[in-house]
Amino acid sequence: MEEIKKKEEQTSTHKIGIYLWIWGLLFVLSFFSYMVDWYNFQGLLRWSLILFFMFLKAGLIMAFFMHLFWERYALVNVLLWPMTAIACFVALMVAEGKYTLFTRLFYFFVGGQ
Amino acid sequence: MSDEIDNKQSILAQSSETMNEYSGSKAADVDYVRPAEVPDQDLYHGHSFITKWVFCQDAKVIGVQYFLTAVFTGIVGLILSWLMRLQLGFPGLAGFMTAEHYYQFVTMHGMIMVVYFLTALFLGGFGNYLIPLMVGARDMVFPYVNMISYWMFFVAVAVLMASFFVPGGPTGSGWTLYPPQAILEGTPGSGMGILLMLISLSLFVIGFTMGGLNYLITVLQARTRGMTLMRLPLTVWGIFTATVLAMLAFPALLVSSIMMTLDKVLGTSFFMPTILKAGEVLEYGGGSPILFQHLFWFFGHPEVYIVALPAFGIVSDLISVHARKNIFGYRMMVWAIVGIGALSFFVWAHHMYVSGMNPWFGFFFATTTLIIAVPTAMKVYNWIITLWRGNIRINTVMLWCLGFIVTFVNGGITGIFLGNVSVDVPLSDTYFVVAHFHMVMGIAPLMVIMGAVYHWFPLVAGRILDEGLGKWHFWITFLGAYSIYFPMHYLGFIGVPRRYFEMYDSPYMTSAIGMNEFISLAAFIVGAAQFILIYNIIKTLKTGKPAGKNPWKANSLEWHTSTVPPEHGNFGDRLPVVHRWPYDFSVPGAKEDFIPQTTPPSEVAHTEVEKT
Amino acid sequence: MSEQKIADYDLKPGFKGMATDTGSDQTMFKGVHWGKAMMWIFLLSDTFVFSCFLISYMKGRASTPIEWPYPSEVFALEVFGVSVPLLLIAIMTFVLITSSGTMALAVKYGYEKNRKMCGWLVLATAIGGLTFVGMQAFEWSKLIHEGVRPWENPFGAAQFGSFFFMITGFHGTHVSIGVIFLFIYAYKVFAGHYDTGKRGWFTSMKGDYVEIEILGLYWHFVDLVWVFIFAFFYLW
Repeated sequence: MEEIKKKEEQTSTHKIGIYLWIWGLLFVLSFFSYMVDWYNFQGLLRWSLILFFMFLKAGLIMAFFMHLFWERYALVNVLLWPMTAIACFVALMVAEGKYTLFTRLFYFFVGGQ
Repeated sequence: MSDEIDNKQSILAQSSETMNEYSGSKAADVDYVRPAEVPDQDLYHGHSFITKWVFCQDAKVIGVQYFLTAVFTGIVGLILSWLMRLQLGFPGLAGFMTAEHYYQFVTMHGMIMVVYFLTALFLGGFGNYLIPLMVGARDMVFPYVNMISYWMFFVAVAVLMASFFVPGGPTGSGWTLYPPQAILEGTPGSGMGILLMLISLSLFVIGFTMGGLNYLITVLQARTRGMTLMRLPLTVWGIFTATVLAMLAFPALLVSSIMMTLDKVLGTSFFMPTILKAGEVLEYGGGSPILFQHLFWFFGHPEVYIVALPAFGIVSDLISVHARKNIFGYRMMVWAIVGIGALSFFVWAHHMYVSGMNPWFGFFFATTTLIIAVPTAMKVYNWIITLWRGNIRINTVMLWCLGFIVTFVNGGITGIFLGNVSVDVPLSDTYFVVAHFHMVMGIAPLMVIMGAVYHWFPLVAGRILDEGLGKWHFWITFLGAYSIYFPMHYLGFIGVPRRYFEMYDSPYMTSAIGMNEFISLAAFIVGAAQFILIYNIIKTLKTGKPAGKNPWKANSLEWHTSTVPPEHGNFGDRLPVVHRWPYDFSVPGAKEDFIPQTTPPSEVAHTEVEKT
Repeated sequence: MSEQKIADYDLKPGFKGMATDTGSDQTMFKGVHWGKAMMWIFLLSDTFVFSCFLISYMKGRASTPIEWPYPSEVFALEVFGVSVPLLLIAIMTFVLITSSGTMALAVKYGYEKNRKMCGWLVLATAIGGLTFVGMQAFEWSKLIHEGVRPWENPFGAAQFGSFFFMITGFHGTHVSIGVIFLFIYAYKVFAGHYDTGKRGWFTSMKGDYVEIEILGLYWHFVDLVWVFIFAFFYLW
């Protein structure tokens, strides 16, 4: 990555190569995440692989296609920190979803005894 | 890209006096300020009446448009509150008042006051008018979108008002619009009423996003030379942070509105559980009402601070100017605003302690809620210390500020009661809650709005509002508002539930009857007193005393424009250059008791100014 | 980006640069066009919209006691009598990533003021987007044909249909809006509005190739959202 960056600094815009690389990488990653379904992995392995490929793809799109890798930290940080609120929301809703399921099973199926 | 920017910058560096400064003796020049980074803004000047006053792209006109529209909806909200108080104080006196009407009025009053009045007034009104002036910009960065933003808001208000006239009337589900009851038969306005409300909210969010982007980027990217973030008036900080909250919180409202609209129109069951109605199972099933509550309050709690933070910012400036003293702990104030803003995304479910959510959440949300009290209390201390040994002018503006501090502290302390789960459970859904949130986000921000109107009216209209009428207006409002909301705490303690149309023969009524009548009378008087301000404005516009330039001897840039009121483009030929913060009041050694932000250091070399 | 210069301002890298940028006057995002900054903040806000949708979906799916349909089978496509799971979705992903790539190149050629290349690439992106929307319409009609409705579906929990139509519909709306703008901008590039600085029809602002980058940000964001929808809706 460092080398790429140094090269880029010498020209006014980024070389076409980097875009083609990322483009190709996105296809490969999409193919891999499709394979997760194809080979019918289940359980924790499936979920972690899906998340891994998802975040990798999202990171590549943001970093290179949306140029975030070359942007200054002021912008990058402004964009990424608010995601902590989303992370908190997700974490709490996971707990809430489980609790709702518990109450439903407990009161509707078990009978609340 | 970079070449282009370089070109622009080199052209700029050559234009105006920046080149001289740049090439001149830089080290010795104490007045040196970096050259401009971006070219001067290219403004569209309207020529016809329509482009100048109706579809206007000038942020100041848009600000006034926002202000007037918001005040109009506010008056509607006020009349609704009168009708509610009429029913609560004197049940049965108004013959047309049914329980359905009462719930509709409660709902519309709440929604109007929180979203269409306070939010629009602070961010749309004050934000549009003050941000470009205070940061030293010619206009918002994207004036066209800013104009669209206002008209979206206008349409949203029109849709909201239309719901009064559709069959079934407006929605009566409470301002929180909780499903499943909001869209089920039996709740007033569950047909067209709720639909129009959801559409109106969605339009408001879309319109506000357009305006909010403008406010944020104007503050971040269009400040004038020398204006650092830490030299911004706290008004801008408050409005800026509130806008950040709005940009991140309104999406949750938009999403919940869309989902509920689908539940209503298409019969999906996002929020609708299996429901038995008159022995029959409805089509709905499997949805989660508590999900709506989470989404709603993920928006709803930041919304409280969207209303409160601009008030915090504005009141800091007003106190500083009218006490002729720099604001105590400016940086602490800024960080408190930012900290409150950030924390406000982690406290939402303290509105849901009795909702039946995961019981462990109570612990988490009570903790974060009490943490947020720390920066808030810091701000209150700082306002009081700013007043301490200041050269206080007891004029109308200062009175409103003092009124704000008192009512806000009152509302804040009751907030600590309600933030704790074990104390909240017996108090929730009683008048204690009503008293708390009216005190903290109704009356307190309203006090600031009034103070701000008296403070900035001379800038907008060029004339000073009548002080005598202003003092009458203040004292009636302040004492009256206390008479309304202070007894409500007591009503809450004895257990009077909120949102009840009538108490009938319940045991509460013996001790609450007289108090309800008293509160209602006070509410009529306070409401009527607001028309003193309208009369004052009309009178002042006709015969008021001309304000001249900078009547309050303030430092911030909006008072140092080329003309008063400022024209389109704000600052004439040349943008101001900023050398200091806006709080250099009563500086030892200075000729006058204020040093405007544009005064270069060389002119005040022998004074003890703060380094900012 | 990294090579820019700003008169009399030391652009430091990393967190130190963030501190000095934030503490400096005039702009916080040094060298960033205001329109680009505005688009970024809008996308941040839009991220919250999609996050709220996906969180609702997660909560809905996690708390239903009724069997959730298995997406791999629901979205399978029959090809020559063989059922291939998620075939259409895979092609849609392929199309959207392709269009994202052409957009990235369009932005690059825009900055090099290569009018022809930029225009063709924007047009290619627009056509890619249009293909995506068309395939989505096909997918929707196929599911509707199979009896999936927003309020019910034959495979299991009713919320499956609700969330599917709402989330993909909202994403599809974003794509459609993007396609409209891509066609408009392709015309503007070919007509040379960004070379001559011709003023916009409504905004009366001078045209500049930076607009292509701004549009590009939006388009990549649409792709980004699809990455999440693909993972959470189709694969999970």
